[in-house]
Amino acid sequence: MSINYIGENLLFGYAGNFFIVVAFVAALLSAVAYYFTFKNPEEQRSWKALARTAFFIHGFSIAGIFAVLYYLIYNHRFEYHYVWEHSSTILPVKYIFACFWEGQEGSFLLWAFWHMMLSLIIIRKGGEWEAPVMSVISMVQVFLASMLLGVYIFGIKIGSNPFVLLREHPDMANFPFTKMPDYLQRLQDGRGLNPLLQNYWMVIHPPTLFLGFASTVVPFAYAMAGLLTGKVKDWIKPALPFTFFGVMILGTGILMGAAWAYEALSFGGFWAWDPVENASLVPWLTLVGAAHVMLINKKNGQALRSCFILVIVSFILILYSTFLTRSGILGDSSVHAFTDLGMSGQLLLYMGFFAMLAVVLFIINRKKISSPSEDDSLTSREFWMFIGMMVLVISSIQITFSTSIPVINKIFGTTMAPPAKPVDHYNSWQIPIGAMVCMLIAIGQYFKFRNTETKYFFRKIAFSFIASVIVSAGLYFYFDFARYQYDILLFASIFGIIANADYLVRILKGNFRHSGASVAHMGICMILLGALISNSKSEVISQNRLSINLGKDFPNNENIMLVKGDTLGMGEFYVTYKGKEKKGVNVFYEIEYFKADPKTGALVKAFSLKPVVQMNERMGNVSEPDTRRFPDRDLYTHITYADLEEMKEENKDNNDYTEPKVRTIAVGDTFTTANTLVVLTSLNKDLDKKSLVLEDNDLAVGARLSVIDVNKKTHDAEPVFVIRENQVFTKEAELPELGIRFSFQKINPQDGKIDIAFSEKKSNLREFVIMKAIVFPQINILWTGCILMIIGTVTAIIKRIREGKKA
Amino acid sequence: MKKIHIIGIVIIALALAAIVSTISNSSTYASFRTADEHEGAVFHVVGKLDTTKPQVYDPALNANLFTFYLTDSEGNNKKVIYNNTRPQDFEKAEQIVIVGKSAGNEFHAADILMKCPSKYNGAETHKNQLNANS
Repeated sequence: MSINYIGENLLFGYAGNFFIVVAFVAALLSAVAYYFTFKNPEEQRSWKALARTAFFIHGFSIAGIFAVLYYLIYNHRFEYHYVWEHSSTILPVKYIFACFWEGQEGSFLLWAFWHMMLSLIIIRKGGEWEAPVMSVISMVQVFLASMLLGVYIFGIKIGSNPFVLLREHPDMANFPFTKMPDYLQRLQDGRGLNPLLQNYWMVIHPPTLFLGFASTVVPFAYAMAGLLTGKVKDWIKPALPFTFFGVMILGTGILMGAAWAYEALSFGGFWAWDPVENASLVPWLTLVGAAHVMLINKKNGQALRSCFILVIVSFILILYSTFLTRSGILGDSSVHAFTDLGMSGQLLLYMGFFAMLAVVLFIINRKKISSPSEDDSLTSREFWMFIGMMVLVISSIQITFSTSIPVINKIFGTTMAPPAKPVDHYNSWQIPIGAMVCMLIAIGQYFKFRNTETKYFFRKIAFSFIASVIVSAGLYFYFDFARYQYDILLFASIFGIIANADYLVRILKGNFRHSGASVAHMGICMILLGALISNSKSEVISQNRLSINLGKDFPNNENIMLVKGDTLGMGEFYVTYKGKEKKGVNVFYEIEYFKADPKTGALVKAFSLKPVVQMNERMGNVSEPDTRRFPDRDLYTHITYADLEEMKEENKDNNDYTEPKVRTIAVGDTFTTANTLVVLTSLNKDLDKKSLVLEDNDLAVGARLSVIDVNKKTHDAEPVFVIRENQVFTKEAELPELGIRFSFQKINPQDGKIDIAFSEKKSNLREFVIMKAIVFPQINILWTGCILMIIGTVTAIIKRIREGKKA
Repeated sequence: MKKIHIIGIVIIALALAAIVSTISNSSTYASFRTADEHEGAVFHVVGKLDTTKPQVYDPALNANLFTFYLTDSEGNNKKVIYNNTRPQDFEKAEQIVIVGKSAGNEFHAADILMKCPSKYNGAETHKNQLNANS
């Protein structure tokens, strides 16, 4: 019996599914037709027309899937599982796109979309390369579109479909609501975007990174096209601007991820050598290597084999990194690996297909792929560029191998765990490599292509070298690094910056058009210098100096407890926890920073920071730091522990009082409660019995208490001790504004001391936070470097496009 | 021999060195038994929180001390000392990986990794919610 569900909009789902199937079929048709276009020169025109039509239909369908999914999310059609899973009605509109690519289906769609956009450029500008290049890209699109199919063939699931209905989703099978016609009316809201990802970075980082991923397909497709057509050398020139575009956009995507991690996520820095970060860094390194050897080849026809290998490897590594992060294999070793959607097999097939294609074509053409056998001169620029590429390859091998430990375990059944101190492990390799890269960057441009007069080289570079020695010697004494590797990197990065600045000014004479390489290289050296200083000289200032230090490997004193109202010294600052405020799922903790006035010693408020703890049902509570930026350093403040119980709705009005605690004191003594200081000022035997509703014969004594709160305000309380005939009782005194009660329980005749019991509202007790504060010095060098690198690469792309046009 | 061949050999040697260093730096997933046998060496121990024994975190006393008991995959139980704050939602973790070394009757953890069932897919809890609503 079929159920008539109320209120479902199925039409859009049908449309979406139709577009997916059309996109898949049209991509396949386009791949085949483009193949015949360059294989049959006689019938070229009709094949090309067919191929283009098929690709346009494919592109239109991809755009169609995009539009339908956007429409469904925008209109909260929760009958679709993807919409229910990733969005909710309360979500601000600006995060609609973030919902779109939170899930895997959406991110594959985004990826396919960027491939399609890049393809349109190739169709327009590619000329004779259009057909072979597009046949490869269309084939890639076949695989990507299949990721969205969501059909079962012989019991094997192919792809994961974003238009599956909520009630038909396998996760929901056998739930009673799936049989209720009016389930949509009962469904209150979608699960919503993970609050951790409700961040503007989530709107801009994934599209940038995926455009970076997508851009590696173009040089790969050109290389394949070169092999398919037998024109094994000619592909490099047209592919060069795309390769530099990939370097720029993938680099930007990675740096955005680092900035996000630094700003909003609490990894305690911008780079943690997390497998997910590494997975996108390695293809970038190989792509940078590829771009450089392609430049060599364009100049003198050498290093052709390296061009092929690096371009192919970059593309395959992008697929491998997708596999690593999306197959669930990193589950144990990464903080942000994704769960498996059952598509790892398909991803491996995708990767395997193109790896095999590349290897087979490469072997068939191996005889043609050879460079002139002249030996490189030690004084040629290309020789040192080649060395630089090799250094990047070593860096990639090291990172890839260490990141792949879970994969190695899976294949060989070993039980290796990732290095216990991953940052030290990676740094021990990557710091010397970074230093080598900076040195090569420094000297590279002073060599000319083919051959350089040694005299010329030394004369030109002498200034930069001497200046760098002087500057880094000064900084060497200033920073006093703990390890000599740091000193080497310090010198190398400064040498790289000065040498490129000098080259820009003296040799290029500030010519903007040719400045790309110098500016980008300065940027890289500044990134490394900023990373070196801010990381190695970062200081946890929230140290609790009372406990025994177990050394840096076992940090045991990095967090301090701040009770509401207390002021503690921390580094050069004094800090106070002022209070908290709840906004939606976020709890803001206000931490005020003070500085002592050097003359008077009085505390002057400097600024306040509001780190956040997000009460996140799906991910667990998440702490987000707040950072105060200074020109020369950042101060990072982060809540490491807070009791969130009372922030939950049911505990909002927690009026329970604690069990009374008793203090035995004499007049003049003081004691503390959770957030007050209490002084027994005197005993009062002269009470106004009438107002206290006591009888005339009662013996009554009052304890005059001065209660000083966190704002140094004094409140008076006077609990009373009464003896009526043979009975003893007390009259409590309550300070409702402070949530505290006192009772006078006993008088000790011997020493005149009295017992005061107090109880407080439970909420008083919880007002504390545990926090950690870190200073990152000179981190702005790093951000400046990022911007320079992007500007420099863009300039280089423009130069390469211009050169392409001239030819 | 061309220079390029010399470079090639150097590259291969460095790549091998990188792999060897990774293997020697890599830790091992182990049980408390193995960790006890090699006291002082760093291991990854996978286990579950022992909920029958006390977890102690008293920030007023020491904000950087958290102790609990962990039962490893072989069923051995050991007290774990962690010189840091108590991780948020610690009790919700279905599996805990501690990185550190054995010292007598205790295990000193330098790092705690938690695997939360809710991470990225809260299907279970949300299914229940759906049922409650319907």
